[in-house]
Amino acid sequence: MTIQSSASAENIIQTAQSLRWEVGANFHEKLMESIYTDAARIAERAITRPGEKPRFDFDRTLDRIVTSRVWGFPIMVLLLMVVFWLTISGANVPSSMLAALFLDTIHPFLKNLAANIGMPWWLDGLLIDGMYLAMAWVISVMLPPMAIFFPLFTLLEDFGYLPRVAFNLDNMFRKAGAHGKQALSMTMGFGCNAAGVVATRIIDSPRERLIAIITNNFALCNGRWPTQILIATLFIGVLAPAHFAGLVSATAVVGIALLGILLTFLTSSFLSKTWLKGEVSTFSLELPPYRPPRIWQTIYTSVIDRTLIVLWRAVVFAIPAGAVIWLIANITITDTSIAEHLINFLNPFGLLLGLNGVILVAYIVAIPANEIVIPTVLMLTVLVTGATGVGEGAGVMFELESSTETLSLLQTGGWTLLTAVNLMLFSLLHNPCSTTIYTIYKETGSARWTLVAALAPVLMGFTVTFFVAQIWRLIEGLL
Amino acid sequence: MSDPLLSLVTAAALITTGMFVFWPERGIYWQFERARQMTERVLREDALKHIQNCEVQGEQPSLKSLAGALNISTNQAADVISSLHSHELISIQGTEFHLTPDGRDYALRIIRAHRIYERYLAEETGFDEVEWHTRAHRHEHQLSPEDVERLAHRLGNPIHDPHGAPIPAADGSMAYYENCTELNQLPLDTLARIVHMKDEPEAIYAQLVAEGLHIGQEVRLVESSPQRLRFWAGGNEHVLAPILAANIAVIPITGEPNKTDESPGQPLTNLKPGEDVQMVAISPRIRGAERRRLMDLGLLPGTTIKVEMESAGGNPIAYRIRGAVIALRKSQAELISVCPEVDECHDLDMQLEEQR
Amino acid sequence: MTTNVNVPSEACSTCPIHNAAALKKLGVDMANFDFVVALSGNPNTGKSTVFNALTGLRQHTGNWPGKTVTRAEGGFEYADHKFKLVDLPGTYSLLAASLDEEVARDFILFGQPDVTIVVVDATRLERNLNLVLQVLEITNRVVVALNMMDEARRHGIRIDVRRLARDLGAPVVPTVARQGEGVPELLQAISEVANGDTIGRPYHVKYDSPELQKAVTHLTAKVEAAFPDLPNARWVALRLLDGDERVAEALRKGELGDLTHGSLEQRAAQLQVVGNQ
Repeated sequence: MTIQSSASAENIIQTAQSLRWEVGANFHEKLMESIYTDAARIAERAITRPGEKPRFDFDRTLDRIVTSRVWGFPIMVLLLMVVFWLTISGANVPSSMLAALFLDTIHPFLKNLAANIGMPWWLDGLLIDGMYLAMAWVISVMLPPMAIFFPLFTLLEDFGYLPRVAFNLDNMFRKAGAHGKQALSMTMGFGCNAAGVVATRIIDSPRERLIAIITNNFALCNGRWPTQILIATLFIGVLAPAHFAGLVSATAVVGIALLGILLTFLTSSFLSKTWLKGEVSTFSLELPPYRPPRIWQTIYTSVIDRTLIVLWRAVVFAIPAGAVIWLIANITITDTSIAEHLINFLNPFGLLLGLNGVILVAYIVAIPANEIVIPTVLMLTVLVTGATGVGEGAGVMFELESSTETLSLLQTGGWTLLTAVNLMLFSLLHNPCSTTIYTIYKETGSARWTLVAALAPVLMGFTVTFFVAQIWRLIEGLL
Repeated sequence: MSDPLLSLVTAAALITTGMFVFWPERGIYWQFERARQMTERVLREDALKHIQNCEVQGEQPSLKSLAGALNISTNQAADVISSLHSHELISIQGTEFHLTPDGRDYALRIIRAHRIYERYLAEETGFDEVEWHTRAHRHEHQLSPEDVERLAHRLGNPIHDPHGAPIPAADGSMAYYENCTELNQLPLDTLARIVHMKDEPEAIYAQLVAEGLHIGQEVRLVESSPQRLRFWAGGNEHVLAPILAANIAVIPITGEPNKTDESPGQPLTNLKPGEDVQMVAISPRIRGAERRRLMDLGLLPGTTIKVEMESAGGNPIAYRIRGAVIALRKSQAELISVCPEVDECHDLDMQLEEQR
Repeated sequence: MTTNVNVPSEACSTCPIHNAAALKKLGVDMANFDFVVALSGNPNTGKSTVFNALTGLRQHTGNWPGKTVTRAEGGFEYADHKFKLVDLPGTYSLLAASLDEEVARDFILFGQPDVTIVVVDATRLERNLNLVLQVLEITNRVVVALNMMDEARRHGIRIDVRRLARDLGAPVVPTVARQGEGVPELLQAISEVANGDTIGRPYHVKYDSPELQKAVTHLTAKVEAAFPDLPNARWVALRLLDGDERVAEALRKGELGDLTHGSLEQRAAQLQVVGNQ
């Protein structure tokens, strides 16, 4: 590169700049038009028998049915229900098998081993009761449903049905300032919010994608379903006559999930009109042709790509959480464990929200994984109530086989119906788990939006539970 | 346990206050922040712009015009003028004041920041067209010269703002269209293209936009009298008072009129299932990323479009475009003009010809 | 650094064209590889499937536009040569209007891949050729993979592949990447272009709007006069008229000069310089 040629480069750029007044404002468009015109001409010459239709146009017929006003929504609801049903019923057996393996077999085995080699109690507790148990819990709760849900979802995606769902639902999402494809990232969020956030990549409009990311947490993820189901069964189901109990508690859980969907729309609408108003918004949705899905490859890739990666991240975050849980339950300051100090400190605030200190502490230490909230709550309740005969010691998370035992333990801890309702609400409305927060940061690349996505739901949770608690008490006082 | 009623009322009061203060854009806090930014510097910069604008228009700026333009009292305007004078940005002779070379550079720098930022708002944000001017006005005082240059590079060094006004170059020079005239000065029956529509005063600009006029459009003057101007643009006849038309700058062009600008077409939303149409144009109201995306998908003048199916919700409608099935929302389809049949396109041309 | 510093120029008919230093800047390590192949294409054309078919990796491929967000890399061996395959983001165009387009464009322009594969959806040929034509404006080392031929057949579309190849001035290989159909032929075509056995004579778009003509001709002449080696002077002129700062910057720094697949002596000299640094 000589000085001369750089001077001539500068000269050329200057000339170009002045010529731009001559070529006019729509130069860019004219360029594209020229390229397309030529592309069209070449394509026309190359295609010899374009679009000679087969006798039966499968794609078109199928499209007519799945997007029809009459059948479109019923088919969609039915398919999604089948997917969820397969996930929930299919995951039960492997989940309990994994729990039996990890919690009832390997855990005692490790404890014995540690005792035999003379491991100091604190190391044994930290490693096995803290870290190992947290990991075991996350895997046994999370792996089976995800290993079923993701491949099923991916099969629908590969077949080409999911773009049609986005097409059908866009009208609803448009009214909330969102994109129809958000229906899919939201559905994915019912499996796992972190995966749902990754799934927003299919939305190519910046504003709508941010909306989808920030509101994904309102889709009740599979780590929170067990909490909902357990609490609804214990506290709400028992209100109804025995043969309706199952139905009533299921309705309560579905009600919470629907509340989440409602909040998704409200928050989307709010965001699109305020903070995200300035983000670029575009809409385009291509409906690709249907393709026969390749079942084995889909299962393989979706297990590898989605399930294991998400699981790995969850485990990475859960292990230190297990350590923290064990430590706060076992390190004492002036004869009281850190956990109890924290619980006592947070209790007034918890009660104001209709919750209690135990729940708040459990949610703080369980930021990494919603799966360990209930075991932590039980362990902490034993710790503060001093209940005997249940649990396996400070810092050891557990769950009880019998629901009456769980109920009586929680009632000893001062739980009422209000606590249960508010816990269900708070389980829906609190910050996303740390895996999801990390994923949001990676996907948006912005600390600001990550903060919004993390704090907005927890603030909403405080507000909602506070109002429910106070109104509840007000009515109780009047009665 | 505290009294639930009391805590409810307290919380409701807190939340209401919080929303009142911090509600995005409209909260008191944000309004206060904006007012705080209206410093003396901002007033000075706005004053420089006003004086520069007067010079370009060939008018004489006065304390009164300045006070009017900045929405301040004449006393404040006098303060601003003396401050500008002490910074040697203007020279004062009697009641007249003029920009010094430094003052002119400064003014052009602010104008550059304003127009580049407007361009940025148009291309890379989702803000509505009516908000551009106000937002750019707020930001022009905050952008450092480096920020402006970075933005300009990213936007492909634009040469004019979204209204067609020239952007001064970084070295302070300002190019403009050659042989450009105001629409009311255009000879009758000459084909010309709109290159610039002044966005101030806002009331006039709003009227021009409401007429459906935009830059890049081809116009032809049919009748010109001191009372009114009659002209063709975008396939429609428009009538404007000459004072409004003076805000539109055009350059005469030679050659055949562009078909897409001459035939009005009809919105894509009128299309019935199974019908084939040809695309005529995408309205300039679709801009930036959205416009590029539609073009990427093959929506260009002459493209054949066919309705494929309606969604179950009724709103996005899927069209077959260059072999692919693309869903478009009604709000988009309304802004895409099509013409039902190729033959009819020609008929429309004939009709237009006759009307002329 | 490149290992080809001392290769005598007459042996260079088969030597790689890419600039290892420039590639390194773009984050591609060429150690142990002979050629670098870029994979481009519209979103949802089965680009990732082609990637998997060539490398044997199993990246998830969804029936969605715009799946690949991060850049994937893989390798394969064919006819005793080691190829590095770089998957570029799926784009509709290369006009650098979005980050994805900029990444893809910069890689083809500055990374100087030995071969650029453009994956084309046979059922949407018209729309996809848009990208092919833009790639052909930048480089003549292109192989077009006409993918999803099974879909096209199912929809009754017949494509005259030979005519298409002749019109484009680049080899066109029909494939069904999902089933592995056409992959051996694709490998063969890649290898031929990489080795210089096939030399493309790319089609250039006719920008024949009268208003543009004058400005484009004038500027192209200036670019040609200043940089006689530049094979794509008209493209550079068009980019400058479009206000493309990246191209202007490259012109100032002389980076575009590097891109000329110029005479062998020149290239050898360039490599010498690179080797000495």
